[in-house]
Amino acid sequence: MSKAEAGKRCDRRQFLKASGAAGAVLGSTGLGFFGYAAGKDLETYTGCVNLEGAHQLDRTKWQVDKPHYEAVGPTDRPDPRTEFIFDRGMYRNTQVFQDFLESHPEVKEAEEEMARFRQQMNKPRQRPGESEEEYAAKIKAWEEQVKINSEEWDRLMAEDQRCQEDLILSEAWSNAMGAVSPRLSDLVQGGGRMGMRGGGILPGQGGQQQQQEAEPSWAQTSPEKTDAPRRREPLVMKDPKLTSKLIKKMAHEFGSVLVGITQLNPDWVYKYGRHGRGFEPDKVMEVPKHWKYAIVVGTPMSWDPMYANPNFGTSNDAYSKSRIVAYRLTAFIKALGYWARPHTPGTDYDLMVPPIMVDAGLGEQGRHSIVITPELGCNIRPAVVTTNIPMATDKPIRFGVQEFCKGCKICAEICPSGAITRDDKTVVRGYNRYQINYSKCHNFWYCNQGNIGCRICVAACPYTRKANWLHTTALKATAMDTSGVSHKVLTKLQKQLYPSQGKPEDYYMARLGGKNTSYRQPPWWLRTRDFIEL
Amino acid sequence: MSFFTSGLFWFLEGVCFCLAGAALKHYLEDRGIPMRWWKWMLFAGWVILLGFTIAFITTSAGENETVAALKGGIILVPISIITGAVIWRLLKAGRRPVISQASDQD
Ligand code: SF4
Ligand code: SF4
Repeated sequence: MSKAEAGKRCDRRQFLKASGAAGAVLGSTGLGFFGYAAGKDLETYTGCVNLEGAHQLDRTKWQVDKPHYEAVGPTDRPDPRTEFIFDRGMYRNTQVFQDFLESHPEVKEAEEEMARFRQQMNKPRQRPGESEEEYAAKIKAWEEQVKINSEEWDRLMAEDQRCQEDLILSEAWSNAMGAVSPRLSDLVQGGGRMGMRGGGILPGQGGQQQQQEAEPSWAQTSPEKTDAPRRREPLVMKDPKLTSKLIKKMAHEFGSVLVGITQLNPDWVYKYGRHGRGFEPDKVMEVPKHWKYAIVVGTPMSWDPMYANPNFGTSNDAYSKSRIVAYRLTAFIKALGYWARPHTPGTDYDLMVPPIMVDAGLGEQGRHSIVITPELGCNIRPAVVTTNIPMATDKPIRFGVQEFCKGCKICAEICPSGAITRDDKTVVRGYNRYQINYSKCHNFWYCNQGNIGCRICVAACPYTRKANWLHTTALKATAMDTSGVSHKVLTKLQKQLYPSQGKPEDYYMARLGGKNTSYRQPPWWLRTRDFIEL
Repeated sequence: MSFFTSGLFWFLEGVCFCLAGAALKHYLEDRGIPMRWWKWMLFAGWVILLGFTIAFITTSAGENETVAALKGGIILVPISIITGAVIWRLLKAGRRPVISQASDQD
């Protein structure tokens, strides 16, 4: 080989080595950019962008014949008069509730706790006509009861007010999100807001409902009226499997991110009729025959505010979206000539939703009682449509949540109210499950500043993570692992790498001894002081 | 979808890493370092570890999980450096004296 040839070859070799080095640097830098994009990418906020159900994982490999809960004795239906927290105000002074308190000391304790909280949150005001001495005596008595000095309380109140100002944008956003709220009676009339042509009746088909006057309010939304189809005869559906496919596609089109279908287990339906739901209140409720199937739809809460719970987050965003999906789906099914009824958040239910979600294969119920889905973790707000349109149903899934929850307990450790159990499952109405003290949970909703509620257990659960490579790999590892090793390792990592910004007591308002802490910082668009002069 | 999570990006990453692999082969040959299959496996494992380290830190930063980015960095970066040094020593095992002209220029 001549010198020139050798030199040329050498140059080529040098060039290749240099470009390889550049490739290594570029490739590594690219990985860095990929990682940042994967963390930041809005698309990994599952469910926010794709009407087909973004990132919906292949669930078939996790399908099982039986759900994870077990009936271990005679089962019973839930009593909304005592167990449905939002109706409690209506029943607090009734014998039914007093009897319930006697057999449920944990609820009694929570009721007493809330009375104490209320007293501490509210310093007595001077009534018109009350003398200075009388008022001073009242304040002194109050100070002794709540064991706090009045000036110190004023300072804490100012701190809470400052925090409340920080939450102006978040509250405005939450209110706006909840502004669209269809009513059950719209489905009776079928017109206007439900957007059905010809007042909800397809041309030439006639309709089954007539508004009647002078009926009791419950009868106006009775299932016979509200759920009735918009055609005299139902259209003949070719095949239940195809119908399922169609219903799911429609649910996604209507805005749902996840959707599942199951046969309705009557054990999940409330035992007594609730006020304003069309059943005679306080009477044992017969499950309507046309509630054969349950379609569960669900959307996630906006991710960044969700992480900034309890104060910056809201449920209103996902509540509103899921509610609208359920109403649209109901209207769609009725137009095909079948019966349908929506059960929607926040309080318009005749049944318990979480076990229906489990039956419909959307996920498994976690220690915190919320259903954990593979795609959204527990960041999902569901709604249900009960119907009789014949459909193929989904199977429940098992992807390791029950096993993971046994050792994790992160939600129980961070829950400010101590509502989540660290113990094993118990038997509730004949079913083996984790039971939270929902009365204590509900108490805490009024003990922090900002939008009502708390979603810290949702934010802290290791399953509630963005759908990027890091968290989906962890999810798949835990789902495959039957030894439990990865569960232990990942729980430890979760506690180390994604710790809460505060201790459980820090999440309370200042007047109750807390620091108004959020689980994470709010997103830029909810930082009031960056936008508004205060 | 951002460019950095697209298929085109992964294609370009593939090109970069292929180039880097080919260059490494020449570089080691020039230095008289013989490569066996197990050495390539070890090296590939280290590249994956390094890639994971970079992606973990930056993903956590992208998610605003600063604690995860920091703690992950503190744990993973030293592990990557130490294993890198150990693997380099193993790669050099059985090194032959260099006779080629090209290697003189390294
Ligand atoms: S935080 Fe842990 S224990 Fe609680 S529900 Fe989630 S996985 Fe289960
Ligand atoms: S919502 Fe809040 S208070 Fe209720 S269980 Fe979850 S963390 Fe506890």
